[in-house]
Amino acid sequence: MSLAELQTKFQAGIIENDQTILTSIKDSSRTDRATLFAVYYDAYRLRLAEFLSNDFPILRLHLGEDAFGRLVEDYIESVPPHQPNARWYGTRLPKFMCEGPQWRTNRKAIDLARFERALANAFDAPDAPISTLDTLRNTCVEDWPRLTFEFHPSVNLLDLAGETARIYDALSGEEEELAIQHGEEAILFWRRDGQSFYRPVPDDERLALMEATHGKNFGDICALLAFQSAGDVTQRAAGFISQWFSDGLILRWSAES
Amino acid sequence: MEKPLPLGFGLGLRPVYYKDILEKNPKVDWFEVISENFMVPGGRPLAMLERIRGTYPIVMHGVSMSIASTAPLDFEYLRALKSLASRFQPEWISDHLCWTGVHGVNLHDLLPIPYSQEALDHVVDRIMRVQDFLGRRIAIENVSTYVTFTESEMDEWTFVREMAERADCWLLLDINNVFVSSFNHGFDRQRYIDTLPADRVVQFHLAGHSEAGTHKIDTHDQAVCEEVWALYYDACRRFGSVSTMIERDANFPPFDVLMAELDRARAIAAATELANHEAAA
Repeated sequence: MSLAELQTKFQAGIIENDQTILTSIKDSSRTDRATLFAVYYDAYRLRLAEFLSNDFPILRLHLGEDAFGRLVEDYIESVPPHQPNARWYGTRLPKFMCEGPQWRTNRKAIDLARFERALANAFDAPDAPISTLDTLRNTCVEDWPRLTFEFHPSVNLLDLAGETARIYDALSGEEEELAIQHGEEAILFWRRDGQSFYRPVPDDERLALMEATHGKNFGDICALLAFQSAGDVTQRAAGFISQWFSDGLILRWSAES
Repeated sequence: MEKPLPLGFGLGLRPVYYKDILEKNPKVDWFEVISENFMVPGGRPLAMLERIRGTYPIVMHGVSMSIASTAPLDFEYLRALKSLASRFQPEWISDHLCWTGVHGVNLHDLLPIPYSQEALDHVVDRIMRVQDFLGRRIAIENVSTYVTFTESEMDEWTFVREMAERADCWLLLDINNVFVSSFNHGFDRQRYIDTLPADRVVQFHLAGHSEAGTHKIDTHDQAVCEEVWALYYDACRRFGSVSTMIERDANFPPFDVLMAELDRARAIAAATELANHEAAA
Protein backbone atom coordinates (compact mmCIF):
# COMPACT_ATOMS: atom_id res chain seq x y z
CA MET A 1 0.00 0.00 0.00
CA SER A 2 1.37 3.44 -0.89
CA LEU A 3 1.96 6.01 1.84
CA ALA A 4 -0.91 8.15 0.55
CA GLU A 5 -3.28 5.20 0.54
CA LEU A 6 -2.18 4.15 4.01
CA GLN A 7 -2.76 7.64 5.43
CA THR A 8 -6.20 7.87 3.83
CA LYS A 9 -7.20 4.53 5.32
CA PHE A 10 -5.67 5.33 8.71
CA GLN A 11 -7.63 8.58 8.86
CA ALA A 12 -10.82 6.81 7.77
CA GLY A 13 -10.19 4.31 10.56
CA ILE A 14 -10.09 7.14 13.09
CA ILE A 15 -12.92 9.30 11.79
CA GLU A 16 -15.27 6.70 10.32
CA ASN A 17 -14.21 3.58 12.21
CA ASP A 18 -13.31 2.00 8.85
CA GLN A 19 -11.42 -1.21 9.71
CA THR A 20 -9.54 -1.54 6.40
CA ILE A 21 -6.34 -0.08 7.87
CA LEU A 22 -6.00 -3.05 10.22
CA THR A 23 -4.68 -5.16 7.34
CA SER A 24 -1.55 -2.96 7.37
CA ILE A 25 -1.05 -3.06 11.14
CA LYS A 26 0.73 -5.83 13.03
CA ASP A 27 -0.23 -7.37 16.35
CA SER A 28 2.30 -6.66 19.10
CA SER A 29 3.76 -9.39 21.28
CA ARG A 30 1.28 -8.42 24.04
CA THR A 31 -1.92 -7.48 22.24
CA ASP A 32 -3.82 -7.38 18.97
CA ARG A 33 -3.77 -4.69 16.29
CA ALA A 34 -7.34 -3.55 16.93
CA THR A 35 -6.50 -2.70 20.56
CA LEU A 36 -3.42 -0.79 19.46
CA PHE A 37 -5.22 1.14 16.71
CA ALA A 38 -7.94 2.03 19.24
CA VAL A 39 -5.35 4.19 21.05
CA TYR A 40 -5.55 6.60 18.10
CA TYR A 41 -9.32 6.22 17.64
CA ASP A 42 -9.99 7.00 21.30
CA ALA A 43 -7.36 9.74 21.62
CA TYR A 44 -8.94 11.65 18.73
CA ARG A 45 -12.32 11.77 20.44
CA LEU A 46 -10.93 12.44 23.91
CA ARG A 47 -8.75 15.28 22.66
CA LEU A 48 -11.55 17.02 20.74
CA ALA A 49 -13.93 16.57 23.66
CA GLU A 50 -11.34 18.21 25.90
CA PHE A 51 -11.04 21.19 23.53
CA LEU A 52 -14.82 21.65 23.61
CA SER A 53 -15.05 21.22 27.38
CA ASN A 54 -12.36 23.86 27.84
CA ASP A 55 -14.07 26.29 25.47
CA PHE A 56 -17.65 25.79 26.72
CA PRO A 57 -17.48 25.17 30.49
CA ILE A 58 -20.68 27.05 31.25
CA LEU A 59 -22.66 25.38 28.48
CA ARG A 60 -21.48 22.09 30.00
CA LEU A 61 -22.79 23.13 33.41
CA HIS A 62 -26.08 24.27 31.90
CA LEU A 63 -26.69 21.09 29.88
CA GLY A 64 -25.30 18.64 32.44
CA GLU A 65 -22.77 15.89 31.74
CA ASP A 66 -25.07 13.56 29.76
CA ALA A 67 -26.53 16.13 27.38
CA PHE A 68 -23.20 17.93 26.92
CA GLY A 69 -21.56 14.56 26.25
CA ARG A 70 -24.16 13.82 23.54
CA LEU A 71 -23.65 17.25 21.99
CA VAL A 72 -19.87 16.82 21.96
CA GLU A 73 -20.17 13.34 20.45
CA ASP A 74 -22.55 14.58 17.72
CA TYR A 75 -20.27 17.51 16.93
CA ILE A 76 -17.10 15.40 16.77
CA GLU A 77 -18.76 12.85 14.49
CA SER A 78 -20.10 15.60 12.19
CA VAL A 79 -17.32 18.20 12.19
CA PRO A 80 -13.74 16.97 11.73
CA PRO A 81 -11.15 19.61 12.62
CA HIS A 82 -9.43 21.46 9.80
CA GLN A 83 -7.36 24.11 11.55
CA PRO A 84 -3.78 23.62 12.81
CA ASN A 85 -4.71 25.46 16.00
CA ALA A 86 -7.16 23.62 18.27
CA ARG A 87 -8.46 26.98 19.54
CA TRP A 88 -10.73 27.24 16.52
CA TYR A 89 -12.25 23.75 16.71
CA GLY A 90 -15.32 24.88 18.64
CA THR A 91 -16.02 27.88 16.40
CA ARG A 92 -18.83 26.13 14.58
CA LEU A 93 -20.52 24.64 17.63
CA PRO A 94 -23.22 27.36 17.98
CA LYS A 95 -24.09 27.06 14.26
CA PHE A 96 -24.08 23.27 14.55
CA MET A 97 -26.56 23.54 17.42
CA CYS A 98 -28.76 25.92 15.40
CA GLU A 99 -28.90 23.42 12.53
CA GLY A 100 -29.19 20.18 14.50
CA PRO A 101 -32.71 18.82 15.10
CA GLN A 102 -31.81 17.91 18.68
CA TRP A 103 -30.55 21.32 19.65
CA ARG A 104 -32.11 23.96 17.42
CA THR A 105 -35.11 24.59 19.68
CA ASN A 106 -32.89 25.12 22.73
CA ARG A 107 -32.28 28.85 22.29
CA LYS A 108 -30.93 29.21 25.82
CA ALA A 109 -28.20 26.62 25.22
CA ILE A 110 -27.36 27.94 21.75
CA ASP A 111 -26.97 31.47 23.08
CA LEU A 112 -24.78 30.31 25.97
CA ALA A 113 -22.58 28.64 23.34
CA ARG A 114 -22.51 31.87 21.30
CA PHE A 115 -21.71 33.80 24.49
CA GLU A 116 -18.75 31.58 25.37
CA ARG A 117 -17.48 31.58 21.79
CA ALA A 118 -17.64 35.39 21.73
CA LEU A 119 -15.51 35.52 24.91
CA ALA A 120 -12.95 33.19 23.27
CA ASN A 121 -12.92 35.27 20.08
CA ALA A 122 -12.34 38.46 22.09
CA PHE A 123 -9.46 36.73 23.90
CA ASP A 124 -7.66 35.98 20.61
CA ALA A 125 -8.53 39.11 18.61
CA PRO A 126 -5.68 41.20 17.16
CA ASP A 127 -3.87 43.67 19.41
CA ALA A 128 -4.25 47.42 18.89
CA PRO A 129 -3.47 50.43 21.10
CA ILE A 130 -6.53 52.16 22.54
CA SER A 131 -7.17 55.90 23.02
CA THR A 132 -8.38 57.71 26.12
CA LEU A 133 -11.11 60.32 26.42
CA ASP A 134 -8.42 62.94 27.13
CA THR A 135 -7.52 62.95 23.45
CA LEU A 136 -10.95 64.44 22.70
CA ARG A 137 -10.76 67.30 25.22
CA ASN A 138 -9.39 69.91 22.81
CA THR A 139 -11.90 69.15 20.08
CA CYS A 140 -14.08 72.17 19.15
CA VAL A 141 -17.79 71.80 19.76
CA GLU A 142 -18.38 72.51 16.05
CA ASP A 143 -16.32 69.43 15.13
CA TRP A 144 -18.31 67.00 17.28
CA PRO A 145 -21.02 66.21 14.72
CA ARG A 146 -18.30 65.01 12.31
CA LEU A 147 -16.55 62.74 14.82
CA THR A 148 -16.14 59.11 13.75
CA PHE A 149 -14.56 56.31 15.75
CA GLU A 150 -12.44 53.27 15.04
CA PHE A 151 -13.00 50.35 17.41
CA HIS A 152 -10.71 47.71 18.89
CA PRO A 153 -10.78 44.48 16.79
CA SER A 154 -12.11 42.53 19.79
CA VAL A 155 -15.34 44.58 19.96
CA ASN A 156 -18.35 42.41 19.15
CA LEU A 157 -22.04 43.03 19.74
CA LEU A 158 -24.40 40.05 19.88
CA ASP A 159 -28.18 39.83 20.22
CA LEU A 160 -28.88 36.94 22.58
CA ALA A 161 -31.84 35.47 24.43
CA GLY A 162 -32.89 37.57 27.42
CA GLU A 163 -30.84 37.02 30.58
CA THR A 164 -28.06 35.03 28.84
CA ALA A 165 -25.42 37.13 30.59
CA ARG A 166 -27.09 36.68 33.97
CA ILE A 167 -27.38 32.93 33.43
CA TYR A 168 -23.68 32.88 32.52
CA ASP A 169 -22.84 34.89 35.66
CA ALA A 170 -24.95 32.65 37.86
CA LEU A 171 -23.42 29.43 36.52
CA SER A 172 -19.89 30.88 36.64
CA GLY A 173 -20.44 31.64 40.32
CA GLU A 174 -21.85 28.14 40.87
CA GLU A 175 -25.18 29.68 41.76
CA GLU A 176 -28.54 28.28 40.85
CA GLU A 177 -29.54 28.90 37.29
CA LEU A 178 -32.15 31.57 36.62
CA ALA A 179 -35.43 30.80 34.95
CA ILE A 180 -35.44 31.73 31.27
CA GLN A 181 -36.74 35.17 30.45
CA HIS A 182 -38.49 36.17 27.26
CA GLY A 183 -37.17 38.70 24.81
CA GLU A 184 -33.64 39.49 23.77
CA GLU A 185 -30.66 41.37 25.10
CA ALA A 186 -27.65 42.87 23.40
CA ILE A 187 -24.29 41.92 24.88
CA LEU A 188 -21.09 43.77 24.11
CA PHE A 189 -17.84 41.75 24.19
CA TRP A 190 -14.31 43.14 24.12
CA ARG A 191 -10.82 42.60 25.48
CA ARG A 192 -8.70 44.91 27.55
CA ASP A 193 -5.29 44.21 29.11
CA GLY A 194 -5.46 40.60 27.97
CA GLN A 195 -8.82 39.92 29.61
CA SER A 196 -12.19 39.37 27.89
CA PHE A 197 -15.10 41.51 29.15
CA TYR A 198 -18.83 41.68 28.47
CA ARG A 199 -21.78 43.78 29.51
CA PRO A 200 -25.41 44.06 28.46
CA VAL A 201 -26.15 47.30 26.61
CA PRO A 202 -29.49 49.12 26.55
CA ASP A 203 -31.41 49.48 23.27
CA ASP A 204 -30.28 53.04 22.51
CA GLU A 205 -26.60 52.27 23.20
CA ARG A 206 -26.90 49.17 21.01
CA LEU A 207 -28.19 51.33 18.19
CA ALA A 208 -25.46 53.95 18.71
CA LEU A 209 -22.77 51.28 18.84
CA MET A 210 -23.98 49.58 15.67
CA GLU A 211 -23.94 52.89 13.83
CA ALA A 212 -20.58 53.95 15.23
CA THR A 213 -18.91 50.64 14.38
CA HIS A 214 -20.22 51.06 10.82
CA GLY A 215 -18.46 54.42 10.55
CA LYS A 216 -21.41 56.75 11.14
CA ASN A 217 -20.47 60.08 12.71
CA PHE A 218 -21.65 61.54 15.99
CA GLY A 219 -24.18 63.81 14.26
CA ASP A 220 -25.79 60.89 12.40
CA ILE A 221 -25.90 58.83 15.60
CA CYS A 222 -27.64 61.65 17.47
CA ALA A 223 -30.13 62.09 14.63
CA LEU A 224 -30.97 58.40 14.67
CA LEU A 225 -31.35 58.37 18.47
CA ALA A 226 -33.64 61.42 18.27
CA PHE A 227 -35.79 59.54 15.79
CA GLN A 228 -36.04 56.60 18.18
CA SER A 229 -36.38 58.30 21.56
CA ALA A 230 -37.18 61.57 23.31
CA GLY A 231 -34.95 63.62 25.65
CA ASP A 232 -31.46 65.08 25.26
CA VAL A 233 -30.01 62.59 22.82
CA THR A 234 -26.76 64.56 22.39
CA GLN A 235 -25.93 64.21 26.05
CA ARG A 236 -26.96 60.57 25.99
CA ALA A 237 -24.75 59.85 22.95
CA ALA A 238 -21.84 61.75 24.49
CA GLY A 239 -22.26 59.56 27.57
CA PHE A 240 -22.01 56.41 25.44
CA ILE A 241 -18.82 57.65 23.83
CA SER A 242 -17.32 58.51 27.18
CA GLN A 243 -18.16 54.98 28.37
CA TRP A 244 -16.63 53.41 25.23
CA PHE A 245 -13.37 55.27 25.83
CA SER A 246 -13.42 54.25 29.46
CA ASP A 247 -14.08 50.59 28.56
CA GLY A 248 -11.13 50.64 26.15
CA LEU A 249 -13.15 50.09 22.99
CA ILE A 250 -11.85 52.98 20.88
CA LEU A 251 -8.58 52.96 18.97
CA ARG A 252 -8.79 56.43 17.43
CA TRP A 253 -11.21 59.10 16.30
CA SER A 254 -11.29 61.63 13.53
CA ALA A 255 -13.25 64.78 12.77
CA GLU A 256 -12.74 64.86 9.04
CA SER A 257 -15.69 65.75 6.88
CA MET B 1 27.83 21.96 10.25
CA GLU B 2 27.96 23.43 13.73
CA LYS B 3 25.35 22.51 16.30
CA PRO B 4 23.74 25.36 18.21
CA LEU B 5 25.32 25.76 21.65
CA PRO B 6 23.48 23.86 24.41
CA LEU B 7 20.95 26.04 26.22
CA GLY B 8 21.05 24.14 29.49
CA PHE B 9 17.89 22.94 31.24
CA GLY B 10 14.45 24.17 30.26
CA LEU B 11 10.73 23.67 30.72
CA GLY B 12 7.69 23.71 28.47
CA LEU B 13 6.00 27.09 28.78
CA ARG B 14 2.37 26.48 29.80
CA PRO B 15 -0.23 29.11 30.84
CA VAL B 16 -0.74 27.47 34.23
CA TYR B 17 2.83 28.46 35.14
CA TYR B 18 2.86 32.05 33.81
CA LYS B 19 2.37 33.48 37.29
CA ASP B 20 5.20 31.42 38.82
CA ILE B 21 7.55 32.39 36.02
CA LEU B 22 6.76 36.10 36.02
CA GLU B 23 6.75 36.47 39.79
CA LYS B 24 9.62 34.17 40.76
CA ASN B 25 11.93 34.54 37.78
CA PRO B 26 12.91 30.87 38.32
CA LYS B 27 16.30 29.34 37.58
CA VAL B 28 15.25 27.84 34.25
CA ASP B 29 17.74 28.28 31.42
CA TRP B 30 15.17 28.39 28.60
CA PHE B 31 11.58 27.65 27.70
CA GLU B 32 10.04 25.64 24.89
CA VAL B 33 6.78 27.06 23.53
CA ILE B 34 4.15 25.23 21.50
CA SER B 35 4.21 27.26 18.28
CA GLU B 36 0.51 26.85 17.47
CA ASN B 37 -0.55 28.29 20.83
CA PHE B 38 0.96 31.59 19.77
CA MET B 39 -0.20 31.56 16.15
CA VAL B 40 -3.14 33.78 17.08
CA PRO B 41 -3.95 37.33 16.01
CA GLY B 42 -3.30 38.82 19.45
CA GLY B 43 -4.17 38.79 23.14
CA ARG B 44 -2.72 37.50 26.38
CA PRO B 45 -0.64 34.53 25.11
CA LEU B 46 1.45 36.76 22.85
CA ALA B 47 1.76 39.43 25.57
CA MET B 48 2.95 36.78 28.06
CA LEU B 49 5.46 35.41 25.58
CA GLU B 50 6.82 38.92 24.93
CA ARG B 51 7.46 39.32 28.66
CA ILE B 52 9.00 35.90 29.18
CA ARG B 53 11.11 36.15 26.02
CA GLY B 54 12.56 39.38 27.46
CA THR B 55 14.25 37.27 30.15
CA TYR B 56 14.67 33.75 28.75
CA PRO B 57 15.80 32.15 25.47
CA ILE B 58 13.08 30.11 23.79
CA VAL B 59 12.74 27.35 21.24
CA MET B 60 9.56 26.85 19.20
CA HIS B 61 8.03 23.39 19.11
CA GLY B 62 5.20 22.69 16.69
CA VAL B 63 2.57 19.97 16.46
CA SER B 64 0.95 20.71 13.09
CA MET B 65 3.69 20.85 10.45
CA SER B 66 2.59 17.34 9.41
CA ILE B 67 5.96 16.75 7.82
CA ALA B 68 5.18 13.14 6.88
CA SER B 69 1.73 13.80 5.44
CA THR B 70 1.06 13.09 1.78
CA ALA B 71 -1.14 16.21 1.70
CA PRO B 72 0.58 19.26 0.18
CA LEU B 73 2.72 21.32 2.55
CA ASP B 74 0.59 23.96 4.26
CA PHE B 75 2.35 27.19 3.30
CA GLU B 76 -0.20 29.31 5.13
CA TYR B 77 0.87 27.50 8.30
CA LEU B 78 4.55 27.81 7.41
CA ARG B 79 4.19 31.55 6.75
CA ALA B 80 2.58 31.99 10.19
CA LEU B 81 5.38 29.92 11.74
CA LYS B 82 8.05 31.97 10.01
CA SER B 83 6.41 35.20 11.10
CA LEU B 84 6.22 34.01 14.72
CA ALA B 85 9.88 33.00 14.60
CA SER B 86 10.82 36.36 13.15
CA ARG B 87 9.05 38.08 16.05
CA PHE B 88 10.34 35.92 18.91
CA GLN B 89 13.72 34.78 17.58
CA PRO B 90 13.80 31.19 18.89
CA GLU B 91 17.09 29.35 19.12
CA TRP B 92 15.56 26.72 16.82
CA ILE B 93 12.24 25.40 15.54
CA SER B 94 11.15 21.79 15.91
CA ASP B 95 8.26 19.51 15.00
CA HIS B 96 7.55 15.78 14.90
CA LEU B 97 8.28 12.86 12.63
CA CYS B 98 4.60 12.25 12.01
CA TRP B 99 1.56 13.34 10.03
CA THR B 100 -1.55 14.98 11.46
CA GLY B 101 -4.07 14.48 8.66
CA VAL B 102 -4.81 14.32 4.95
CA HIS B 103 -7.59 15.69 2.71
CA GLY B 104 -7.80 18.97 4.62
CA VAL B 105 -8.35 17.39 8.04
CA ASN B 106 -6.14 17.93 11.10
CA LEU B 107 -6.67 15.14 13.60
CA HIS B 108 -4.62 16.93 16.27
CA ASP B 109 -2.55 13.83 16.90
CA LEU B 110 1.00 12.77 16.06
CA LEU B 111 0.24 9.89 13.73
CA PRO B 112 2.71 7.10 12.88
CA ILE B 113 4.31 6.31 9.54
CA PRO B 114 5.64 3.09 8.06
CA TYR B 115 9.44 3.10 8.04
CA SER B 116 9.63 2.49 4.31
CA GLN B 117 11.89 3.82 1.58
CA GLU B 118 8.93 5.66 0.08
CA ALA B 119 8.17 7.38 3.39
CA LEU B 120 11.84 8.22 3.91
CA ASP B 121 12.18 9.84 0.46
CA HIS B 122 8.95 11.74 1.05
CA VAL B 123 9.89 13.03 4.51
CA VAL B 124 13.41 14.01 3.45
CA ASP B 125 12.06 15.99 0.50
CA ARG B 126 9.54 17.81 2.69
CA ILE B 127 12.03 18.66 5.45
CA MET B 128 14.35 20.13 2.83
CA ARG B 129 11.52 22.20 1.34
CA VAL B 130 10.46 23.45 4.77
CA GLN B 131 14.05 24.32 5.69
CA ASP B 132 14.42 26.23 2.41
CA PHE B 133 11.22 28.13 3.12
CA LEU B 134 12.07 28.94 6.73
CA GLY B 135 15.69 29.70 5.87
CA ARG B 136 17.00 27.55 8.72
CA ARG B 137 17.55 23.95 9.80
CA ILE B 138 14.69 22.50 11.80
CA ALA B 139 14.81 19.79 14.47
CA ILE B 140 12.64 16.70 14.03
CA GLU B 141 11.42 14.72 17.04
CA ASN B 142 10.80 10.99 17.27
CA VAL B 143 7.23 10.29 18.47
CA SER B 144 5.71 7.60 20.66
CA THR B 145 3.89 5.08 18.50
CA TYR B 146 1.39 2.35 19.29
CA VAL B 147 1.26 0.46 15.99
CA THR B 148 3.75 -0.95 13.50
CA PHE B 149 3.00 -1.36 9.81
CA THR B 150 3.48 -4.29 7.49
CA GLU B 151 4.83 -1.71 5.00
CA SER B 152 7.88 -0.91 7.20
CA GLU B 153 11.19 -1.90 5.64
CA MET B 154 13.66 -0.66 8.26
CA ASP B 155 14.00 0.06 11.98
CA GLU B 156 12.82 3.39 13.31
CA TRP B 157 16.36 4.38 14.31
CA THR B 158 17.70 3.62 10.85
CA PHE B 159 14.92 5.73 9.35
CA VAL B 160 15.63 8.62 11.73
CA ARG B 161 19.38 8.50 11.11
CA GLU B 162 18.93 8.41 7.32
CA MET B 163 16.38 11.19 7.47
CA ALA B 164 18.65 13.47 9.50
CA GLU B 165 21.67 12.88 7.28
CA ARG B 166 19.88 13.20 3.96
CA ALA B 167 17.67 16.17 4.91
CA ASP B 168 20.51 17.83 6.83
CA CYS B 169 18.24 18.59 9.77
CA TRP B 170 18.68 18.52 13.54
CA LEU B 171 17.16 15.89 15.80
CA LEU B 172 15.11 16.40 18.92
CA LEU B 173 15.44 13.13 20.82
CA ASP B 174 12.48 12.46 23.07
CA ILE B 175 13.83 10.00 25.62
CA ASN B 176 10.38 9.10 26.91
CA ASN B 177 9.16 8.42 23.36
CA VAL B 178 12.06 6.03 22.78
CA PHE B 179 11.15 4.26 26.02
CA VAL B 180 7.40 4.11 25.26
CA SER B 181 7.89 2.89 21.68
CA SER B 182 10.54 0.37 22.72
CA PHE B 183 8.10 -1.11 25.23
CA ASN B 184 5.19 -1.09 22.77
CA HIS B 185 7.16 -2.64 19.92
CA GLY B 186 9.77 -4.61 21.83
CA PHE B 187 12.86 -3.01 20.31
CA ASP B 188 16.25 -2.40 21.90
CA ARG B 189 16.21 1.19 23.16
CA GLN B 190 19.95 1.22 23.75
CA ARG B 191 20.50 0.40 20.10
CA TYR B 192 18.20 3.28 19.15
CA ILE B 193 20.32 5.71 21.17
CA ASP B 194 23.57 4.25 19.87
CA THR B 195 22.52 4.51 16.22
CA LEU B 196 21.53 8.18 16.05
CA PRO B 197 24.19 10.62 14.78
CA ALA B 198 25.51 12.58 17.78
CA ASP B 199 26.27 15.66 15.70
CA ARG B 200 22.57 16.04 14.83
CA VAL B 201 20.97 15.85 18.29
CA VAL B 202 20.31 19.37 19.59
CA GLN B 203 17.63 18.74 22.19
CA PHE B 204 16.26 16.14 24.60
CA HIS B 205 12.69 15.85 25.81
CA LEU B 206 11.91 14.19 29.13
CA ALA B 207 8.31 13.41 30.05
CA GLY B 208 5.99 11.00 31.79
CA HIS B 209 3.57 8.51 30.28
CA SER B 210 0.59 6.33 31.25
CA GLU B 211 0.34 2.57 31.59
CA ALA B 212 -2.32 0.69 29.64
CA GLY B 213 -1.20 -2.83 30.59
CA THR B 214 -0.26 -4.20 27.19
CA HIS B 215 1.15 -0.87 26.05
CA LYS B 216 2.24 2.54 27.31
CA ILE B 217 0.76 5.87 26.17
CA ASP B 218 2.65 9.14 25.88
CA THR B 219 0.43 11.43 27.95
CA HIS B 220 2.81 13.96 29.54
CA ASP B 221 0.68 13.86 32.68
CA GLN B 222 3.02 12.00 35.03
CA ALA B 223 6.47 12.46 36.50
CA VAL B 224 9.44 11.15 34.51
CA CYS B 225 9.79 7.47 35.45
CA GLU B 226 12.97 5.74 36.65
CA GLU B 227 13.53 3.84 33.39
CA VAL B 228 13.44 7.12 31.43
CA TRP B 229 15.91 8.72 33.85
CA ALA B 230 18.19 5.73 33.29
CA LEU B 231 17.86 6.12 29.52
CA TYR B 232 18.57 9.83 29.89
CA TYR B 233 21.84 8.92 31.60
CA ASP B 234 22.71 6.70 28.63
CA ALA B 235 21.76 9.44 26.18
CA CYS B 236 23.94 11.97 28.00
CA ARG B 237 26.84 9.50 27.86
CA ARG B 238 26.30 9.03 24.14
CA PHE B 239 25.49 12.60 23.03
CA GLY B 240 27.28 14.76 25.62
CA SER B 241 25.88 18.13 26.61
CA VAL B 242 22.47 18.58 24.96
CA SER B 243 19.71 21.11 25.77
CA THR B 244 17.26 19.22 27.97
CA MET B 245 13.70 20.01 28.97
CA ILE B 246 10.77 18.55 30.88
CA GLU B 247 7.41 18.37 29.08
CA ARG B 248 4.26 18.47 31.18
CA ASP B 249 0.89 18.99 29.48
CA ALA B 250 -1.73 17.75 31.95
CA ASN B 251 -2.23 16.90 35.63
CA PHE B 252 0.00 19.89 36.34
CA PRO B 253 1.96 19.69 39.60
CA PRO B 254 3.14 22.77 41.54
CA PHE B 255 5.92 24.56 39.68
CA ASP B 256 8.46 23.52 42.35
CA VAL B 257 7.89 19.86 41.46
CA LEU B 258 8.96 20.52 37.87
CA MET B 259 11.94 22.48 39.13
CA ALA B 260 12.94 19.45 41.23
CA GLU B 261 12.73 17.23 38.13
CA LEU B 262 14.87 19.72 36.26
CA ASP B 263 17.43 19.62 39.08
CA ARG B 264 17.56 15.86 38.74
CA ALA B 265 18.22 16.24 35.00
CA ARG B 266 21.03 18.69 35.83
CA ALA B 267 22.55 16.24 38.30
CA ILE B 268 22.44 13.34 35.82
CA ALA B 269 23.96 15.47 33.06
CA ALA B 270 26.73 16.61 35.44
CA ALA B 271 27.45 13.03 36.48
CA THR B 272 27.67 11.86 32.87
CA GLU B 273 29.91 14.79 31.98
CA LEU B 274 32.28 13.65 34.70
CA ALA B 275 32.05 10.03 33.52
CA ASN B 276 32.65 11.07 29.89
CA HIS B 277 35.63 13.16 30.99
CA GLU B 278 37.12 10.26 32.95
CA ALA B 279 36.53 7.87 30.07
CA ALA B 280 38.33 10.23 27.70
CA ALA B 281 41.31 10.71 30.08
